[in-house]
Amino acid sequence: MAISPEYIALLRVGIRSSPEWKEAWDRINDYLDALKTPESIDRELILLSSFERAIARKRQEPFTPATELAFDEVQKNLDHSLRHLIDQGVPDDCRLIEERVRLYLTENVDGNILGRTAELSEEVLHALRDVKLQAAPNLQVASITARPLELSSAGKGFVSLAAKLSPIGANRILGWVIGLAILGLLVFASLYR
Amino acid sequence: MNGKDRSKRFVELVGSATFEEAFQRKVRQRRWGVALVTVGISVVGLWLMFDIVGARGWTPLAVAETGLFGLLFTSLSFGFTQAFLGYLVLAEGQERLKITNTLDEDTTLASTAVVMPVFNENAETVFGNICALYNSLRERGELDLYDFYILSDSTDPAKAVEEELAWSDICRQTSGFGKIHYRRRKLPVNRKSGNVADFCRRWGHRHRYMVVLDADSVMTGAAVSSLVRLMETNPRAGIIQTMPRLVKAETVFGRIQQFASRLYSPIFAAGLNFWQQGAGNYWGHNAIIRVSPFLASCGLPALPGREPLGGRVLSHDFVEAALMRNAGSEVWFAYDLDGSYEGLPPNLTEYVKRDRRWCQGNLQHMWFFLAQNIRPISRIHLVQGILAYSSAPLLVLFLLLGAFQAGIDHLREKIGTFPAASAAVLFLMTLTLLFGPKVLSLLHLFSRPKELAAFGGPVRVLLGVILETLFSIFTAPVLIWFHTRFVLRNIAGKTVTWHTQTRDGRAGPRWLDIIAEYWPLPVVGAGLGAVAWWIAPSYLAWVSPILLGLLLAIPIAQFSGRVDSFRQLFLTPEELQPPGELCARFKLQLRDGDQFVHALLDPFYNAVHVSLQRRRETSAPCVDGYIVSLADRLFKEGPESLTPQQKRALLGDGETLGRLHNLIWKTPSGLMNPAWARALAQYRSSRRGVRPQPEAIEAMLASERPAAA
Repeated sequence: MAISPEYIALLRVGIRSSPEWKEAWDRINDYLDALKTPESIDRELILLSSFERAIARKRQEPFTPATELAFDEVQKNLDHSLRHLIDQGVPDDCRLIEERVRLYLTENVDGNILGRTAELSEEVLHALRDVKLQAAPNLQVASITARPLELSSAGKGFVSLAAKLSPIGANRILGWVIGLAILGLLVFASLYR
Repeated sequence: MNGKDRSKRFVELVGSATFEEAFQRKVRQRRWGVALVTVGISVVGLWLMFDIVGARGWTPLAVAETGLFGLLFTSLSFGFTQAFLGYLVLAEGQERLKITNTLDEDTTLASTAVVMPVFNENAETVFGNICALYNSLRERGELDLYDFYILSDSTDPAKAVEEELAWSDICRQTSGFGKIHYRRRKLPVNRKSGNVADFCRRWGHRHRYMVVLDADSVMTGAAVSSLVRLMETNPRAGIIQTMPRLVKAETVFGRIQQFASRLYSPIFAAGLNFWQQGAGNYWGHNAIIRVSPFLASCGLPALPGREPLGGRVLSHDFVEAALMRNAGSEVWFAYDLDGSYEGLPPNLTEYVKRDRRWCQGNLQHMWFFLAQNIRPISRIHLVQGILAYSSAPLLVLFLLLGAFQAGIDHLREKIGTFPAASAAVLFLMTLTLLFGPKVLSLLHLFSRPKELAAFGGPVRVLLGVILETLFSIFTAPVLIWFHTRFVLRNIAGKTVTWHTQTRDGRAGPRWLDIIAEYWPLPVVGAGLGAVAWWIAPSYLAWVSPILLGLLLAIPIAQFSGRVDSFRQLFLTPEELQPPGELCARFKLQLRDGDQFVHALLDPFYNAVHVSLQRRRETSAPCVDGYIVSLADRLFKEGPESLTPQQKRALLGDGETLGRLHNLIWKTPSGLMNPAWARALAQYRSSRRGVRPQPEAIEAMLASERPAAA
């Protein structure tokens, strides 16, 4: 690993002196924080090598924002570090997602296992390659069919009565008038009995 | 014969023809007994009422009033009869006809699904309750035969994301992948009943039984395994309902309800089981269901007409019990099975809001009451459910008719002409029917010193009962008011909308929220008070409990939500000595803030969410175009620019969400909506300031080199 302190210092000074690269630096650090990457040498290596390559690319792609270049390079680095946790059959466009799933599943109190995958036993590695996040089991289809409601003769009579009365119930004013009229009739009949 | 042998003997007898005949005869005797006592009490009450009304002279108002009295009094006497018989059963200490007698711990278990339908619930509560049961079953070494399903109908996009992460987190913490399942329906068709039916369609054939839980239900592993064993022993049992105890209440209202339910419900439950036996009811949760008869018979039909009274069945439980009975299965009530708990609404307003939904659901049961082929006992359950709410407008009408009659008597100067003896006896009888069950419950508790101590001792229990009774007297008019409103609105073809959202704190709901909903009650109370005073001061005294409840509705509703009052009263055994499952605290490792934003930005949330989405097999240009336009707007205008519906649509497309994740992270702040830049800053670690400096990095590299070499 031939990275001298001078080189690192230069890189950092360079990054900090340019607002564009400083923003990219902060953004990538935020991303690694969101991934719960612990403060470690591996994190620094990923950062430095990503920025090194991003800076080199910037010369060829001057109009591409530094943040985009750095993010792409970090993704490549992450992919490189975690590819062995993924089954080879996984398509390229899904692989980065699957790698993040592996990081999530193996996350512990110290953060994610980036750079520490060598500590995983072969059994765990094998299990991780087989992981397929599936929230529900495979279908074992059954049918549950509703039978139509069959009303009794009293029920049918009630329904027809309700159908006749429903215009009254649906009209708020008419409902109140008829209700109060019945009450009034009861009171009147009781008063002058 | 010792207890275990007797139990085994009982198990052997189940299913034998002789036993069946004797059992049916005994059940018939019991039902006739309950009917006779209920009718007997009602007839005495009616006879006294006839005497009182007859002395004043029969008028059309008096006839209507007496008719309503008969209906309400019969309903009251049925409840009292049940409580009284329950008290006798518990006092005797040995009920021969209860399903838990057949429980045999040696019975083998069978494949069982624990299902929890949820709808925009608190994820920590939902997954915490599942986790408590999961761990409880694991400790018993019985986990192998169980599968857990969280069946989400959540429509809030943030809740949906939170549930997914909660599921993956609980699985990660408990190694529950493959045992704890999560499924969210994109369209919550037919609400809870549709949710459970969807589970049955998808995985019904995987399990022999399903234990249905509510989001706030907690069950112990012992209780769940006992239910499975009871099902295995009783092949005709289609549903076994447990008696959930109310727990985890913090507010005055919640703790009063919790205390009252814990103290009074045992005698009611024993009385209920006494007469219903295998023709019991299902309350929608904390119960076990045999899946195959459920599949065959419990598909819910569409009701004639439109909502609120027609359309889809809202309250499915009573109906499913009735349909299960029609199909020849039994529905039992394991009222004495420990380890079944549920939560409850924290204050009066939330309680009323829940009643609003239940009222509509129960009124729909009228269709099943009028349907063919429903068994008589099921019809009784349905009518009881309908009367639970419709008795409120009947009571209001009864009081109104009484007030009119009193007004007429006042005009005719006929007050004081009624037979005082009959009135006094009827008054005492009514008080006995209303408060007798409370006294019987106290008698039952005081005969068991250990249980009494578990409630905090005799003084606390007595004080608790007195205050609870006062509280229920004051809250009854409020409930009658709202139930009447709900029923009348539903009959008129409309639903009741709730205008305010009650925000709780330790000091209770906000006064302004309460006033906005409750202001008509004191106004009506004052008006009725003036009329009652005009009729006669003695009449005002007679109706004062109702008027006081109306006048004090606002402070009572506010007080009901307070947390710090009466902490030394209303204690329950579960509060003083909670079982392990209730103490378990499950802490989800979730981020604070908008969960929808996390689904886009948090690399883990995004990865979990995207990998759980099914890839669309075929591409539909119109759908793709819609999703792309949503993603474009979201990126340009920020997370507030989309409606919940649009957010849900976007969440359903994993690929787009994965692309958006990368796009936002790699775009410089100046080129995107400022909301995203602010959101990204949330992920900055608090340890950022202590990152090693270049010199330190080189030192670290140097120290690593020999090891690497």
